[in-house]
Amino acid sequence: MAEYKLLLEHADDPAYRTLAGYQAKGGYQALRKAVGMDRQAVIDEVKKSGLRGRGGAGFPTWIKWNGIEKEKTAPHYILCNADEGEPGTFKDKQIMETVPFLMVEGMTIAGWATQGDHGYVYIRAEFCDAAKAVRQAIDEAYAAGLLGKDILGTGWDFDLDIHLGAGSYECGEESALMSSLMGERGMPRLKFPHAPLPTVAGLWDRPTVINNVETYACAPFIVERGGDWYATLGASTKNSRGTKIFSVSGHLNRPGNYEIEFGTTLGELIDLAGGVKGGALKACVPGGSSVQILRGDGLRDAVIGYEEMWEAGSMVGSGGCMVLNEHTCIVSFIWRTAQFYAMESCGKCTPCREGTKWMLQIMERIVRGNGQPGDMDLLMEITKQIDGRSFCGLGDAAAWPVAAALKVFPEEFEYFIKHGRSMIDTPQARALAPRWAQTVGV
Amino acid sequence: MAAVANVPLVKVSINDVEIEVPKGELIVESVKRLGLEIPIFCYHPRMKPVGMCRMCLVEVGFKQQDGSVRKMPKPQAGCTLPASEGMVVYTDTEPIHADRRGVLEFLLINHPLDCPICDRGGECPLQNNTMAYGPSTSRFIELKRHLPKAFPLSTYVTLDLERCIQCGRCVRFTEEISGDHDLAFRFRGADMQPSTFQLTDFESKFSGNVIEICPVGALTSAKYRFRARPWDLETTPSVCTVCSNGCNVWFDHRAGKFVRINGRANEAVNEEWTCDKGKFGHEHYNAADRPTQPLVRQGDGFAPTSWSGAYDPVLAAFAEGGDRVAALVGPRVSNEALFLLRRLFERAFKSARVSSNWRRTPGSGSVQGTIADVESGGPVLVFGTSLADDLPIVHLRLRKGATNAGARVVNAFSRPTEVDRFAAVSLHYRPGSELALARGLHGLLAGTGATAEAVEAETGVPADRLREAVEVLKEGGTALSSQGLYDLSDGPQIVEALAGIARATGGRSECWATGANEQGAIELGLAGEGATATLQACAEGRVKALWLVAADPFALHPDRALVERALETVEFLVVQSPVGSEALAYASVVLPTALPAEQDGTYTNCERRVQRVQPAVPPPGDGKPDWRVFSECLLRALPETPLFNPREVMEAIAAEVPAFAGCRYEALGPEGTVLGGNLLDTPDEPAMVGGQA
Ligand SMILES: Cc1cc2nc3c(=O)[nH]c(=O)nc-3n(C[C@H](O)[C@H](O)[C@H](O)COP(=O)(O)O)c2cc1C
Ligand code: SF4
Ligand code: SF4
Ligand code: FES
Repeated sequence: MAEYKLLLEHADDPAYRTLAGYQAKGGYQALRKAVGMDRQAVIDEVKKSGLRGRGGAGFPTWIKWNGIEKEKTAPHYILCNADEGEPGTFKDKQIMETVPFLMVEGMTIAGWATQGDHGYVYIRAEFCDAAKAVRQAIDEAYAAGLLGKDILGTGWDFDLDIHLGAGSYECGEESALMSSLMGERGMPRLKFPHAPLPTVAGLWDRPTVINNVETYACAPFIVERGGDWYATLGASTKNSRGTKIFSVSGHLNRPGNYEIEFGTTLGELIDLAGGVKGGALKACVPGGSSVQILRGDGLRDAVIGYEEMWEAGSMVGSGGCMVLNEHTCIVSFIWRTAQFYAMESCGKCTPCREGTKWMLQIMERIVRGNGQPGDMDLLMEITKQIDGRSFCGLGDAAAWPVAAALKVFPEEFEYFIKHGRSMIDTPQARALAPRWAQTVGV
Repeated sequence: MAAVANVPLVKVSINDVEIEVPKGELIVESVKRLGLEIPIFCYHPRMKPVGMCRMCLVEVGFKQQDGSVRKMPKPQAGCTLPASEGMVVYTDTEPIHADRRGVLEFLLINHPLDCPICDRGGECPLQNNTMAYGPSTSRFIELKRHLPKAFPLSTYVTLDLERCIQCGRCVRFTEEISGDHDLAFRFRGADMQPSTFQLTDFESKFSGNVIEICPVGALTSAKYRFRARPWDLETTPSVCTVCSNGCNVWFDHRAGKFVRINGRANEAVNEEWTCDKGKFGHEHYNAADRPTQPLVRQGDGFAPTSWSGAYDPVLAAFAEGGDRVAALVGPRVSNEALFLLRRLFERAFKSARVSSNWRRTPGSGSVQGTIADVESGGPVLVFGTSLADDLPIVHLRLRKGATNAGARVVNAFSRPTEVDRFAAVSLHYRPGSELALARGLHGLLAGTGATAEAVEAETGVPADRLREAVEVLKEGGTALSSQGLYDLSDGPQIVEALAGIARATGGRSECWATGANEQGAIELGLAGEGATATLQACAEGRVKALWLVAADPFALHPDRALVERALETVEFLVVQSPVGSEALAYASVVLPTALPAEQDGTYTNCERRVQRVQPAVPPPGDGKPDWRVFSECLLRALPETPLFNPREVMEAIAAEVPAFAGCRYEALGPEGTVLGGNLLDTPDEPAMVGGQA
């Protein structure tokens, strides 16, 4: 299957980043249609579309929208998670930079459907260009009466603001994002069943919808062409509909963002990115650094779909597909991953705070050539002590890649521990190794 | 005190036992109803649950329609989980024990395990949970983290960063209880550490509490650090006598010496907190300059003598002295001693010149409600007092009322105070314009034609602020001040104006004492003519013999010159004191006495709650309790049956002083008893608490 460009169809057209260019290509038809519809009918279209959250968890979007109180008793908030911190993922960046109006219009539609009052786009501060493009889109929308007071003569007011993050991966976790937005330390908050759902008490304890950039960007197509039409995309999969943008990176000839229909295989995705570079395909992490690594043999046939990927042993995640060739030392790769999570753990809960650091210490000892016989079992035990015990998903996300690598590539760990150096002993591998590792001769 | 609102009950099953608990009750509390315990670190019943440490994980499921149980795939934190209908909880399964071992292993990998030299060793939740639930060995062979072991957060609190388990209790205390937000976490992940902002001083007036709630030996008291092991300490329940709040405390001592103060729970008074003055202000128990034996003047110096040798000249100098003999009493003397002192002066010396009032103007304040009433949520006008300094526990409870019960607070003081942080309206007036402001507010509330602009002109408080204050106060509520107002030249008029405000709005007027037993002295009729009048009489030669009872006039009276003249002029000066004082230099006779925790007796706090102290340690040398000194003098001076223990003295008080009617030691419950309550109707059970209407 080839690329299916829905969101990214006009990504290369600079005019599409202006309101005039966007409207010339049919932009804002969806909002015009939505405000002519009953609010519930909009949510029903999203339900029919089968849209699931593109931020990582794949939660049905319509359930969130439908969870907002219908008899309004308080301000409603619409949050867009544009923190995109997952290593390997850079699709929200492109959406905001090249098709920002899709996200803005999508948030406005979500606002209409849920009687929203105020939207915030939480953008990681490093995304300067994205923030600028979104700022410009918001300003133009305000000037044209598509945001602000009395939108399209409906009497409905909706404001949209940007909030820049401060560089913490954890702030992409939805409740930590809300803490951060409210001026608190970026730590996650209690979740259901310990506290009400965000749709009941989210930002400032008010009903809140939070979705990913890509999720919102799908909404205009669903409203304009109908949920039934959208659901025809990906119909071959169990329960994944529409398109998904994958950020394909690693040892590839043409790394980049590729939008595909669910049901495409990983092999087709890799081919879209020009195929593996510099050696044979060894492994792939299909959905961002948090998900499980897959072994090269057989992964080409794995079908991209939430359930299908799970059955293949991994997850769609946020769509950060990292492709590794045969010269990659998996132990070093996991060491680097462990370093990321130890650095990004917010420190709130014991398993993640202590466990990620401990795993990193062990991984570091192994890649320095000082591995000990029991290290693999110990690492596996630690992942079990974190997984499902931490306060938020970051702990789980730190445990999964380590546990998976131990299961999928045990021989590389065994070799490294036994011999004090990597099993992958090719000139290319040595060139890929981190600089300090080269100096210690790993 | 759990507010018993109309919370519906839900059925939950805990380890296969079904019980009914209030909907929303945290599971960590529900299990206690079955005598079970879930181990915890970060959870504290007086603060919002956060679920940080993960020590309290339990297995949770929900009963389905068909009777089967659907278990949640992951264990859940019991400290954050609200009970709901059909919830099924397991606290004692093998997976849960494995989870507890896992969390403890994580907490211990970077813990220094310096238990043998740790203040907390022996009373440490981390030690206890590890013994009960932890792994016996560690699999950690990496380098432990190394951090400062004695980081001075303030003069009083020292932080051992290596021992910290990052539970957040200290940070949350400053956010939720003291409200000063003095502590926060800095850095992220494993590097996270509690800290003040910009490493400034930990200035909170309640900082000592974090030492007690820290579940490890990370936060230590600079005064207690390395001074004792918990198992060497004896502890005695006591009451803090630094101020009029009367916090309940544990008085810890070793080999007869004071070691430290910890908060003791009394829901009616301090919940479990103390202020820093109370926590760290008991050093005088071990002071080197405490008098240890009776002394009589000999030329420029003193000669030691026996108690009899001291009583003889004293009684001779005071006997039948009438108006020409007087006593001045300090604020920390027990009810029993005050009562016997008055009896001694009335019956043996025929003098009414006994005064405990060191204020500039006379007045006896007003007490209508209780400390706990302050947090009930009604509007409160705080007037002319820095609450965190003068009535610290009242401050904490008022803050709780404002943040939890939505109490609207108007804070009137000449400079900013901690109350401004939660006050709805702050009125910062020009010093000296207290009376104008109190009368102005009264006028505005009573609608007597006063204008906010006119009050602004007199006080400097913007008219708009005054109007906002009136909006809040017209709902009634409480005018809360301290008897510190009587240190102003127009104190009585200000207090009267505040009472007027209360009358105008149908609210209450509280003007509370600040000295530990200042209120007790008022109740027992010792307010007297006031220290200024007595000192003047001494200075003018109208009083020939003066008895100072636990009172250093140089510290208590603002007019130093007057004090000097008075002490130089009187012919005979008795200095009865538990501690060294400047006045000793003028003494004819020195009588060494006991501090509050060295004697038996009762104190009346600012809300008229009578609470008992008992001897925890002996006074140094020959020191005696004040009440015994007076009792022995009475025995020598009069042919009366003496009262030879404080219990009997209290019975005599109850018989003679109407406010104390029915007050007996047996009737003082664990929380003490508020005067004027149902004392008379409670023969043997502990008396009702907070029984005032
Ligand atoms: C540690 C962590 C980091 C996350 N970071 C992001 C992120 O950067 N962007 C994002 O959209 N979702 C992120 N998520 C997922 C969000 O919590 C949340 O599920 C998502 O924003 C919901 O939007 P969706 O339903 O549209 O996917 C993260 C989750 C975790 C646990
Ligand atoms: S799992 Fe715990 S420490 Fe890790 S990011 Fe979430 S709350 Fe913070
Ligand atoms: S210092 Fe003590 S109370 Fe504060 S976070 Fe550390 S362990 Fe917890
Ligand atoms: S006690 Fe429940 S998480 Fe700390």
